[in-house]
Amino acid sequence: MAFYDKLFSALGLSEWCGTSDDKAPLSLADLAAQAGGEEASEPLIPIPSFDNLHESCNRIWQSRDVTNGIEEGFLAAKPVLKTVLDPITQPLSWILDGALWLFEATPWFIMVPLLVAISWYASRSRPVTIFVAASIMMLALVDHYDVAMQTLSIVFVCTTISVLFGVPIGIAMSKSDRLQKGVVPLLDLLQTLPTFVYLIPLIFLFSVTESKLYGIAIILYAIVPVIRLTDLGIRLVDRDVIEAANAFGMKDRQKLMRVQLPLALPNIMAGINQTIMMSLAMVVIASLVSAPGLGVNVLRGIRNLELGVGIVAGIGIVLLAVILDRVSKAALTRVDKTQVKH
Amino acid sequence: MTQPMVRLSGLYKIFGARDKDVLQHAKGGMGKEELLAQHGHVLGLNNINVDMQAGEITVVMGLSGSGKSTLIRHLNRLIEPTAGEIIVQGEDVMQLSEDGLRHARQEKMSMVFQKFALLPHKTVLKNAGMPLSVRGEDEATCDREAAKWLDRVGLSGFENHYPAQLSGGMQQRVGIARALTANTPIMLMDEAFSALDPLIRTDMQDLLLELQKELHKTIIFITHDLDEALKLADHLVILKDGFVVQQGEPQHILLNPNDPYIEDFVSDINRARVLRVRSIMTPLDGGQVPEDAHGEVDVNDTLESMIARSGGDTSHAYVVKDGEKTVGSLDMTELVRALVPRVASEAGARQS
Repeated sequence: MAFYDKLFSALGLSEWCGTSDDKAPLSLADLAAQAGGEEASEPLIPIPSFDNLHESCNRIWQSRDVTNGIEEGFLAAKPVLKTVLDPITQPLSWILDGALWLFEATPWFIMVPLLVAISWYASRSRPVTIFVAASIMMLALVDHYDVAMQTLSIVFVCTTISVLFGVPIGIAMSKSDRLQKGVVPLLDLLQTLPTFVYLIPLIFLFSVTESKLYGIAIILYAIVPVIRLTDLGIRLVDRDVIEAANAFGMKDRQKLMRVQLPLALPNIMAGINQTIMMSLAMVVIASLVSAPGLGVNVLRGIRNLELGVGIVAGIGIVLLAVILDRVSKAALTRVDKTQVKH
Repeated sequence: MTQPMVRLSGLYKIFGARDKDVLQHAKGGMGKEELLAQHGHVLGLNNINVDMQAGEITVVMGLSGSGKSTLIRHLNRLIEPTAGEIIVQGEDVMQLSEDGLRHARQEKMSMVFQKFALLPHKTVLKNAGMPLSVRGEDEATCDREAAKWLDRVGLSGFENHYPAQLSGGMQQRVGIARALTANTPIMLMDEAFSALDPLIRTDMQDLLLELQKELHKTIIFITHDLDEALKLADHLVILKDGFVVQQGEPQHILLNPNDPYIEDFVSDINRARVLRVRSIMTPLDGGQVPEDAHGEVDVNDTLESMIARSGGDTSHAYVVKDGEKTVGSLDMTELVRALVPRVASEAGARQS
């Protein structure tokens, strides 16, 4: 006699529920109870879960039906999703593969000076530039140059794409309160969903051998801060300056290009910095779905308990993170300095 | 009289979601507080009728919350009115399309802001040239015009500085240069000098008057400072709770305040410095100048200078001249009487 029987008969739903002839055990605990001949010890009032309610009423789902339902629903939608998403996302694979090829094919004696020159151009800071040069050479010294470049190429592509999509989305959000209300929960979801969870539906949708699989996972995770901070930055632009722009008859486009974006730039740059950091974090996890780079070595370290391999790769990631962070931060402060608030 | 440059007639602004519905109550004579209590809407402007003449400085004065900043933003429709007409140069601003309005903002009206509102990431030169570059003028023209007006407001040499590197007074000079570069017939100045310290403020007022002598723009100037209003105004409009309490020639308002609110305002100022001979003289009207006149004075001399000139002797009398023409006479006794505000004299009368 299950606890909730009375509830259903009180509601007059006994008929609807039907009688339960099914004596098959629902859980391991039930099975043990049957085998031992004892009643499983139940709390005074069992929690009204699907499984407990099912004991009293056959019509009610069991919890495993929920997870099954999600899976079946997804599988049913998969063919449609795949025909739509596959061609759209195909260019991502090409870009990722192309960048990977470019970063690997460029000989180190060209690549390293190029990276150092870029960091000098972006940061205009001597300590930062020296640090970048030293870090890359250190990675090269322990033969991690190639994997580091693979990681860097993925971060480079994913960040660029995140910025290309994120900034316009952020601008659109700043213009429309309704859009903002709709998008913010989605961004919260993307940011809080455990990173591994992204990978499961993606594996269903795309082939693991294709690079867009990890590309999409990284971009979905890393695009959030650049969207958020573009929106915030534009909304924070001094209202007096916007009013002046209106009073002098600026068109919306002029206002955006001459006032809003330049004044929001420090915030947007902070968003880009965060995006870089997050795509670097995700690129390690993405090695689970065949993303090349330092993450593969970390994974090897975990899988085979090769402590040294894991730690060296981990330190390599830290070095890359510090390089990318310092260079983008230095660029940010440089932008900030030219526009001290009045 | 010629057509005014700007004419506001029957202008109402009610802040709130159902402003059009609440309008009839305001038109029915409901005041600001009642409207807020009974309908939850804020009455911003209440039946404003003001003509602003070309080439004059119209000063709109009122305490904070009186609706003066709301009023000035109606001229270029930064704020949309609930009802009423805004006619600029014979053209109804309310009928303008989006493009037409933008055009009017670019070509007819420029604005100077209390908080300067300069672009912090652009140099002083680019800031001053902004109105022209918005119109699509080429860079050389923008820079040339900007440099010309920057020089005119005393900022040559600072072209390549950023606004943050300048003091408040200098930033507002950039703001004025920017408005002048736009080369519009109308200039809207929203508490333009209120954020500046008193000495700099006096400087800026002098600068504005000096520029105005030359340029003859139609200037609409918002302020909460009566001294500033009296110094600048050709036409003074006093706002309270969104309606016009009194408007007219400043000297006239000073001598004939028609409302206790204005009397309060007026009682605090230095009348000797503000009042001029023309406001208190006895007009000639075909009569004779006094025989015992102690000399000739100009109609626009202040009373303060007259007191200094007479050495404080109230028995003196002077002949008043407007240029070459004799227009009236001034008795020092009259002058001393004019120095006492009307409120104070009434209070004195009650006591005796």
